[in-house]
Amino acid sequence: MVLTLFLIITFTFFLVQAQPGDYASFYVLNPDLPPEVKDEIRAAFGLDKPAWQQYVIHLKNTFTGNLGVSFGNFPRPVLDVLAERVPRTLVLFLTATAVSFYIGFFLGKAIAWRRGGLFEYAATISGAMLFTAFTPAFALMMIWVFAFRLGWFPVGKFLDPLVWRGADVSANYVFGNMLLSAAAFITFALLVMLCLKRFGRRVPSVAAVPIVLGGALVIMAAWALSGIGGLALDIVKHMVLPVATLTLISFAGTMLLTRNSMLETIREDYVMAARAKGLPDKQVRDRHAARNAMLPIVTSLVYSLIFAIDGSVIIESVFSWPGTGLTLLQAVRSEDLPLVMGAMLFIGMLSLLAHVIVDVLYVYLDPRIRYQ
Amino acid sequence: MRSSGRFAFCGLLLVLSLLPACTGEGTEDGVATSAPGATATSQPEADEPAAPSEAEAEKVYRIGISADLTTTNHWAYLGPDGTIWNGYVLGGSKPALYAYSAQRYDWVPSVAADFPTPLAEEEVAGETFWTTEVELLEGVKWSDGSDVTAEDFAFTANTAAEMQLTGNWPSIVDPEFFDHAETDGPYRLKIFFKQKPGLARWQFGLAFMPIFSRSYWEPVVAEARQAGDTTEQQKVLFSHVPEGEPSAGGFIFDQWERGAFAEKDENPDYSFRGTEVALYASGAYSAITAGLNDFTAYGEPGGETVLEYVEGPFAASTIYSIYGSQDAAVLALKKGDIDFMLNPLGLSKGLQEQLAGEDGLTTIENASDGVRYLGFNFRRAPMDSRAFRQAVATLIDKEFLVDTVLQGVAIPIYTMVPEGNGAWYNADVPLIGKGLTRQERVDRAVELLKAAGFTWETEPRVSEDGNFIEQQGEGLRMPNGKPVPAMQVLAPSAGYDPLRSTFAIWIERWLSEVGIPLRANLTGFNVIVEKVFDQQDFDMWILGWGLSPFPDYLESFFHSRHSELEGYNPGGYNNPDFDRLADGLLAETDLEAARQQAFEMQAFLAEDLPYVVLFDTPIVETYRSERIDFPYTETWGGLQSVSGMPTLVDFR
Repeated sequence: MVLTLFLIITFTFFLVQAQPGDYASFYVLNPDLPPEVKDEIRAAFGLDKPAWQQYVIHLKNTFTGNLGVSFGNFPRPVLDVLAERVPRTLVLFLTATAVSFYIGFFLGKAIAWRRGGLFEYAATISGAMLFTAFTPAFALMMIWVFAFRLGWFPVGKFLDPLVWRGADVSANYVFGNMLLSAAAFITFALLVMLCLKRFGRRVPSVAAVPIVLGGALVIMAAWALSGIGGLALDIVKHMVLPVATLTLISFAGTMLLTRNSMLETIREDYVMAARAKGLPDKQVRDRHAARNAMLPIVTSLVYSLIFAIDGSVIIESVFSWPGTGLTLLQAVRSEDLPLVMGAMLFIGMLSLLAHVIVDVLYVYLDPRIRYQ
Repeated sequence: MRSSGRFAFCGLLLVLSLLPACTGEGTEDGVATSAPGATATSQPEADEPAAPSEAEAEKVYRIGISADLTTTNHWAYLGPDGTIWNGYVLGGSKPALYAYSAQRYDWVPSVAADFPTPLAEEEVAGETFWTTEVELLEGVKWSDGSDVTAEDFAFTANTAAEMQLTGNWPSIVDPEFFDHAETDGPYRLKIFFKQKPGLARWQFGLAFMPIFSRSYWEPVVAEARQAGDTTEQQKVLFSHVPEGEPSAGGFIFDQWERGAFAEKDENPDYSFRGTEVALYASGAYSAITAGLNDFTAYGEPGGETVLEYVEGPFAASTIYSIYGSQDAAVLALKKGDIDFMLNPLGLSKGLQEQLAGEDGLTTIENASDGVRYLGFNFRRAPMDSRAFRQAVATLIDKEFLVDTVLQGVAIPIYTMVPEGNGAWYNADVPLIGKGLTRQERVDRAVELLKAAGFTWETEPRVSEDGNFIEQQGEGLRMPNGKPVPAMQVLAPSAGYDPLRSTFAIWIERWLSEVGIPLRANLTGFNVIVEKVFDQQDFDMWILGWGLSPFPDYLESFFHSRHSELEGYNPGGYNNPDFDRLADGLLAETDLEAARQQAFEMQAFLAEDLPYVVLFDTPIVETYRSERIDFPYTETWGGLQSVSGMPTLVDFR
C-alpha cells in the first residue's frame, strides 16, 4: 500500500509539473511588476527550485504530515481547504450514491426475476438512455425544467444567501452535523438489526420499523430544536435537484449489474431447490438469489461511496456546488501544486482503503472466501 | 446483511425525506434565531403573483460572480491573492487620495482636498528627494467613527515599502521610487521619492493606493514584524482574517460563506453619501459633498452637462452570490435570483442570445479595456524587417473577418490604446491596410516586400475580378537571398478563444497565398505563455492584453529594456527612437504633455508595427432593469470596471 501511495504521489507530482508554466505565471502577465518581484514571488512559493528538488521537499513534507499551503488561497493550509470542501461533497454524493444504488438494486432484482416483461424492457431502455446521457447537457436540462420553468427547486448553489444572511454558524458546521446525524442514524439502525438478529426468533422483524422510525424522529426533533434546522432544510432543498440528476444518470449501472448477477444466480441449483421446497417467490428472490448476487454490487457500492469524496467536476460546476471536484479542477488549472497533491493524496489513500474494505467484506458476504 | 443494508439505505432516505417535513415550520424559527429579520424565500409558482421577497423589501442588491473569494484581507488581495473576484467584492471599501472620474477618467481628488503640490527637489540629511505635499479632507470618517487621516496613508505606504510586499504592491508602492511618507498634522501629508516619479508612478500609481485604517492594522503589522524575515512577516500579515475592519466606502464587509456568497452592509456613516457629481461638455468636473467639500477642476462648471449623478448607497446590502459557471449565473439572472452578474469578459454570444428578449432585463454594450494582437519575434528574420511586418498588416483584412466571418462580435482596431479610453486614444494613426480590396492588399504587400528586396520564384497573382488568388506566391526569398523560413504563429485554440483562433487560421491562409510559409499552431494558453515569455522560442504569436487607463503599458510592452526572458517585450522590439519616447512618457509629470507623448507613441507603433493590433471585443452586460437602475451605463470596460458601482445603484 505504501508503495502504491508513493507511486500515486510521484506520478501526480510530475504530471502537474509537466504542464507548461507554473502558478507564478499569473504574475508574469502583469506588466507593472519588475522582473525581480516576479523572482521573489517564485521564491516565496518555492517554484524557483528545480522540479526534482521540489519533489524531494514535497515528499518529505507529505510523510511528515505537512501538505503545505495552497498557492491559490495563500497562505491557507491545504488541509484547511480540503476540510472545508470535503463535507459538502460527501453530503451530496453519499446521498446520491445511496439513493441510486438502492433504486438500481431494487429495479435490477425485479427485472431479473421477471425477465421478458414490458417492465424489464422499459426499465432497461430508459435506464440505458439516462446512463448514456451527456451529463452537462442533462444537468442543465434538469435545472431548466425543474428550477427555471417549474420553479420547484433553486437554480444551483447549496444555499440561499437570503436565508443564510446573518447566520451565526457556517455552512460547514451544518454539513458536519448532517453527516453526523446520518452516521448516528445508520449506526442506530444497524444496532437495531443486530439485536433483532440475535433475538430474532423471539422478536418479529416488523418490530424494527417503529424503533428505527423512532430514532429518526429523535434526530428530527434534535434538528428542529437546534435552531439551525431551517439552514439544514435550505441545504436539503438545494440538494434535491443534483441528487435527482445523479440518481437518474447512475442508477442504471447498478440496475444492470444486479440484473446480470441475479440472472447467473437464479440458474443455480440452490435456487431451484429453494423453489422446489415451496418457499414463497419473494423469499427465494431476496434471501437466496439476491444475497448471493450481491458480491459484485457491494464491491461497486463500496468503491462508489469511497470515490464520492472525489465528487464530480461536472455536477459541481453545473449546480454551483463547491466541493472537492471543483476545487481539484480549479487547482489543476491554476497549477496550485500543493492543493492538487493534497487532494490526490487524500483520494489515493481512500481508494486504497476501499480495496481493504472490499476484501474484508468479501469474507463476510461469501463464506467460501477465507484469507490465510 | 440484507436487512441491515436495507435499513441503512432506508435510514438515509428517511433522514432526507423527513427533514423538510419535520423542519417545515421550524424553518422560520430556525433562521429567526440565527439571522434576525431573515425569512426563507420560497420560489413562487410560475403563474402566481410573487410575494415581495426579502431582497425586494430590503433593497438588497444581488450580484452573481463566477468564482469564490480567496481572501478578505485587502493586503493579501493586493499581494498574492490578486484575483479579479477578490477585487469585485473587496473593492470600494478603502479610501484613496485620488481617483478616476466617471466615464471620462479624469484624475480627481477623493480624500485629498485638492491636487498635490508640484514635485520639488529637496535635500534632507545629505540625501536628495523629490517631494510633494497633499492636504486631506477633514471629516472623512471610517465606519468606526474615527477620521481618515494622513497617518493612515503614511502607515499604509510605509508598511508596504518596509515589508517589501509582493504581488501587485510594487506596482502601487514602487520601491525604486517611493522612499517614505511623513505627516504634518493629521491632514497634511508629505511624500518622499528617491527619484523623480512620472505620472505612472505617482499620480496614477501611489496616489490611487487604497488606504488602510492604522488603528485597526497597526497591531497586526506589529505582530508581523516579530515574525522573522520579510517572507515570514508577509505571511503573518496576509494570513490575518479581518473581523470588524472599518470601511470608508459605501459598504462594510459583513459575511463570507465560503463557496456560497459574500455580503456587504450599507455604511451608515459613509462620508460621501449624497455627493453631487457633474461632468460638463466643456471638460469641467465638479463634486459637491454637503459639509465636506466643494471641488471643481478642469474648467468652470457650466454649460451642457454630460453626466450628473448623486452618490448613495441606496441599497441596504450587497450580496455577491457565487456560481460554478457563467451558465448557472445566467439562469439565476433570468429567474430573478440576481440583479447583475460580473464577468471580466462580459457575456458570450450564446449567453447574450439566451437573455435576449427576456422581460425586465436590459443588455448594454461598452468598449472593452483590452486588445488582441499579433506579435513578432524581432530576433528572427524576416520579422525584423519593417516592410515585412507592414506587408503582413496589409494582408490581414480585419474588417472582412469581423463583419463576415465573426458576424460583428468584435471591433477591428489599429492602435494599442482602445477607442473607449477616450482621453488617451489617438484616432489619427496610420491605418495600414484599412479599406483595401483583396487585390489591392496583395498588390500593396508585394510592392512593400519588393521594395525591401524580397524576391519570388513565382509571384502571386490575383484573379481579374479580384476575388481569389489565381497564382499563389512561391519561393519567397529574403533580401539576403535566403529563402523565407517556414514559420509558425502561436494562437489560442478555439476552445479557449474562437476569435483569436479564427484570426490565426485566416492569417495563415492570406500569408501563404503570397508565398509566406506560415502555419497556425493553435495551442493552450499556458503553452503560448511559456514559449513566448519564458523561452522566447517562437516566430509570431497572437494573444491579448487587458489595459489600464493610463497607457504606461506602451513602455512596458515595447521598450527594449523589457526584452529579457520573462520581460513584457518578448518579441525583442528594439528601437532607440521609441525607447526615447517611452522614457519621456514615464518621466512626464504634466498630464497634457503625457497625452501628447502617448499620441506620438501610438502613431509610431502603428507604423513600425511590433504588434499588428487586431481587434477588440465589446463588453456585453445584462442587468435586471425592472428592479435596479445605474446612474450611467456608458463606460469603458463596462459597469463591472467601475469601482464602487454598488454605491451608485438605485432601486425602481
